[in-house]
Amino acid sequence: MRLIWDEIRKAVPMILQGNPTLLHIIGFTLEVALVATAAATVIGLPIGLTIGLGRFRGRNVLRVIANVSLAIPPVLVGVFLFVLFLPEAPLGSLHLIWTKRVVFVAQTILALPFVVALTAAAVQGLPPGLLSQARLLGAGRRQLWTLALREARIGVIAAVIAALGTALSEVAAIVILGGNIYGYDQTLASATLYEVNGSFYADAVAIAIVLMGLILILMGGLGLLQHQGNGLRLRFRSAA
Amino acid sequence: MSYIWDQLSSAIPLIVNRNGYVVGLLWVTIRVALVSTSAAVVIGLPLGVALGIGRFRGRRALQLLANASLALPSVVVGVGVLLLLLRQGALGSLHLAFTLRAVYIAQAILALPFIVALTPAAIQGLAPGLLDQARALGAGRVQLATFALREAKIGVVAAVIAALGAAISEVGAVVIVGSNIQGHDETLASALLDQFNYTSHDPYEVAIALVLLALIALLIGTLTVIQQRTGAVQFRFRTA
Repeated sequence: MRLIWDEIRKAVPMILQGNPTLLHIIGFTLEVALVATAAATVIGLPIGLTIGLGRFRGRNVLRVIANVSLAIPPVLVGVFLFVLFLPEAPLGSLHLIWTKRVVFVAQTILALPFVVALTAAAVQGLPPGLLSQARLLGAGRRQLWTLALREARIGVIAAVIAALGTALSEVAAIVILGGNIYGYDQTLASATLYEVNGSFYADAVAIAIVLMGLILILMGGLGLLQHQGNGLRLRFRSAA
Repeated sequence: MSYIWDQLSSAIPLIVNRNGYVVGLLWVTIRVALVSTSAAVVIGLPLGVALGIGRFRGRRALQLLANASLALPSVVVGVGVLLLLLRQGALGSLHLAFTLRAVYIAQAILALPFIVALTPAAIQGLAPGLLDQARALGAGRVQLATFALREAKIGVVAAVIAALGAAISEVGAVVIVGSNIQGHDETLASALLDQFNYTSHDPYEVAIALVLLALIALLIGTLTVIQQRTGAVQFRFRTA
């Protein structure tokens, strides 16, 4: 345990002194986490609701695809996008490789399956008949979606928490696509990897501690939000 | 499309001819997946069952802790394990740092939260009263655990699938605790990260990505078939 304590003792002053490189990494990580989670939520919620509530042909196939996409390793997503973004490739003209922008793109794509698959699962888990009843009472699609979102909010917020966790801590795709460039496009997670590989253990521990703190605050905060107004309430006001 | 075809046509011969490097990576990946997942199941299942059926003080706090550990970033696990295993570290005398065994340990730790958190969730999702009834009929602790596991089989297998997925596709810890020496302790996923990191793009990367995708489809597909074979939860009280 001595080594860990020694490294932590060296790491804590680095955090407290507000090292500018560290502050830059924290800022970039927050930016990436918020933008990627927000983008994944905005794109993913309608898709998840459509798959979960829709009564069209092929929705079971879409559900399976959404679930399978959760199992695709981030490295593979990274490789796939890298091959697509190479200069001679179809999307090469976007000039994304080794830029900051690609980090946002990659984390959004990785977070998306969580929002889609878990939202679909959450609204499917609502008591059977709840939505049929709303439909019967004449709810339009907007009202139906609002009702489903409100009633399934515990599951939907869990989906957003999972998306946020991915955006904060996944390293594989952003290292491949962004190049993990010191002081430029590093997140806390990829910076940890960078410092360890250079054997700067105290720096790595400092960054890892900050990362854990950020995860605890952001995901814990959402977790508290999730359980406010405890549990499923059956109200049909919005459907009337 | 011709671009993608070019990429595939240079990669496929490497797979078909069983290129030594790619086969070596596949072999290491299978070993890591099986050893780490088995270790996580052996350690995690008793813990998960205890959390699921136990009626002791602090159970909810422990379950909260188990759920929170799902959010542990792989790079943080990697740094923690490495600092323990380095020569000056607490377990330094075992000489495990930068070896395949260190990779086994790190991946097992990453897989463990899935088993410990998802098993109690599956057991608590059983029909209310089912376990009470078994208790009332005089089931001992072992009988109760067996019964709960059998009834919650779908959820428990889902936990194993998630653990296996983490063991195969997480890279953050592998590249930290392993040596990243070709053919020694590189997995398919970590090789992808390493290749893109330091060398230019070549057909090996696409070949490795394809093999990784096939391996995941095969392993997770097999487990899903096992999971779904008996269909839904059955209510049988034989063990009780």
